[in-house]
Amino acid sequence: MTSEPISTTGPFDPPGVTWQGVSPRLITARLVSGGITLAVPVVAGVVLAVLVSPWFWLLAAVPAAILVWVALVVPRQVRAIGYAERDDDLLIRKGILFRSLVVVPYGRMQYVDVEAGPLDRRLGIAKVQLHTASASTDANIPGLVPDEAERLRDRLTVRGEARLAGL
Amino acid sequence: MSAPTPADGWRRVHPVTPFVRGWAALAAVLFLGGQQVVEDLPNVGRVAGTVQGLWWQALIGLVLVALVAFGYAALAWRMTAYAVDDDAVHLRKGVLFRQQRHARLDRLQAVDIRQPLLARLFGLAELTLEVAGGSGSGVAIGFLKESDAQLLRADLLARAAGVKARRAVPPPQAAGTVPDGEQDGAVPDGEQDGAGPDGTVPLGEVPAGVAAPAPVAEEPAPVAPEQPVYEVPPGRLIVSLLRSAAVWVLVVVLVAIVTAALVTRSWGFLASALPGVVGAGGYLFQRFAGEFGFRAAISPDGIRLRHGLLETRAQTIPPGRVQAVSLTQGPFWRGPDWWRVKVNVAGYDSADGKESQNILLPVGPRDEALAALWLVLPDLGTDEPRELIDEALAGDATTDRWFTTSPRRARLLDPFTWRRNGFAVTDRALLLRSGRLLRSLVVVPHERTQSLGLQQGPWERRRGLASFSVHSTAGPVRPVAYHLDAGDAARLLDDQAVRARTARAHATPARWMEHVAEAVPQVSPEELPVPEPDGGAATLPEDAR
Repeated sequence: MTSEPISTTGPFDPPGVTWQGVSPRLITARLVSGGITLAVPVVAGVVLAVLVSPWFWLLAAVPAAILVWVALVVPRQVRAIGYAERDDDLLIRKGILFRSLVVVPYGRMQYVDVEAGPLDRRLGIAKVQLHTASASTDANIPGLVPDEAERLRDRLTVRGEARLAGL
Repeated sequence: MSAPTPADGWRRVHPVTPFVRGWAALAAVLFLGGQQVVEDLPNVGRVAGTVQGLWWQALIGLVLVALVAFGYAALAWRMTAYAVDDDAVHLRKGVLFRQQRHARLDRLQAVDIRQPLLARLFGLAELTLEVAGGSGSGVAIGFLKESDAQLLRADLLARAAGVKARRAVPPPQAAGTVPDGEQDGAVPDGEQDGAGPDGTVPLGEVPAGVAAPAPVAEEPAPVAPEQPVYEVPPGRLIVSLLRSAAVWVLVVVLVAIVTAALVTRSWGFLASALPGVVGAGGYLFQRFAGEFGFRAAISPDGIRLRHGLLETRAQTIPPGRVQAVSLTQGPFWRGPDWWRVKVNVAGYDSADGKESQNILLPVGPRDEALAALWLVLPDLGTDEPRELIDEALAGDATTDRWFTTSPRRARLLDPFTWRRNGFAVTDRALLLRSGRLLRSLVVVPHERTQSLGLQQGPWERRRGLASFSVHSTAGPVRPVAYHLDAGDAARLLDDQAVRARTARAHATPARWMEHVAEAVPQVSPEELPVPEPDGGAATLPEDAR
């Protein structure tokens, strides 16, 4: 379980592509939001176990186990996220156990969103979401430094306009 | 209005529109009222004396409600107006919440003329423009007189094609198969202001109905002639529905329930079958009514589809608007070798489960299914299209010449279909084949590729497999090739990105008619309907300039 930059081989590593990772602050963001969501049932379970019946320790144990699992997996997941700008398309790679690679041609982009929630803003990261005419295109890059997000957005927009072709 | 007024002027929809739209509410009110009366019937005699005095008040109340409803409807009608100019269609509506919508004509994906049952009685139709803006982005203009709707459609298509024609060279004509007036659909007609269907009212000048036709600058765009390609006889549709999986599931369930009822002698079982029967019956009727009288034709404006039993729909899909095609065959259709052809068109969203707009051929033998495919993709980019398609429809790895299928190690994940799952690439399109019991072929033209994806789960990785998908616009066709060899999938992803790019650069939708004319040579021009609603409006002097 080394946690160095995960180098995939085979189909998810096209030759001649240098991948760019995302900010490690995304790990914090995901851990915090996951922790908050899971802490509620843990606390509720603990309180009920103390007050009502020891059986409620089970209620607390399940989310606690999930929490530990999340804490183990999230850092690796975040390190596995990568994107690469090629001449004509953008590649986005994700996942360790379930891997995915998306190729989005610049000419197919309809619009680009940059999103950042309150936690993201505090941590200084943002998410870039690409939209094509297809709803099944799941192309987003989370955990970008705001400057990089803006640079990417502008760059994608410019490239998209240069290559835009109908539908 | 502060809105930019198109030079053409605003036009109103037909005054009967609110009634046609609101009849459901009206019927509901009448039904509820009637129900109340029926339920109270036994009491009527008893309380007749006391009610006698209330009748008048009830009547006055009803009249008031009717007046308010009528007033609102009249206001809503007054606020609804549309206009057409060179670049866009404008529609505004709404009483309290005003909405104004511009649909760019160069983004036009499809034009539908829809006639619900009641509108058919009045001879009205609603025209819907799809402009690929996602769900609910279409512009529905309605209701109009049927002839007006057709004229408007021809006008819109001509304008949309005119934008195109400026960029592309007009296609060379295929001799003999294309009747006169073929180019009319592609010529920039009505480039100047003022062209448009007559019988419409400039807003705020004259009341509807008594208005003189709006002045027309040029001859209104003629309705493009069309060549019928195929139609689906009702008998075949019924048989195909009887052979569909829904019916067989229903039969099996019914037999099981009746057996259970007979064995246990408790008839309560039968009642439990009712929801299933009603559901299946509703589904079958919906399909029958939606696909009844299905006819397809080609015209310079694109593919024309007409269908519907109660509510009829005439669709026009201009050339190059189909994003993906699928041919599917259920197990009970294999005997007669029937196929169902569906398409993805941006703007036709089948999110609500109804896919009646996305059907290119409800059911037909292989030849008709191929004709449907040629409508969309006249040139498959191979020398032996028929052999390729035959292999794609019925072949598997044991006989393949073109297809690359899943490797043998995928058989644990796909025990039955691994020999079928595969892809083939031609110069023009990507073919994805899958399914053994439920055969399916998906064809995606290279220039219509949106984005590409590659997925791999833990089992796939262990066996060196990966799944490849092409992202198409929303619709019933989902192009995916499961469990390919990982190397094949990676190469396909790379090559397909390049192919899609080059195809986009060279896409020439203008060549469409030529190829379809070759593909459907058996139709002689004399059989064509000649819909030329040639009003005298063209002779009027223009003042719009």
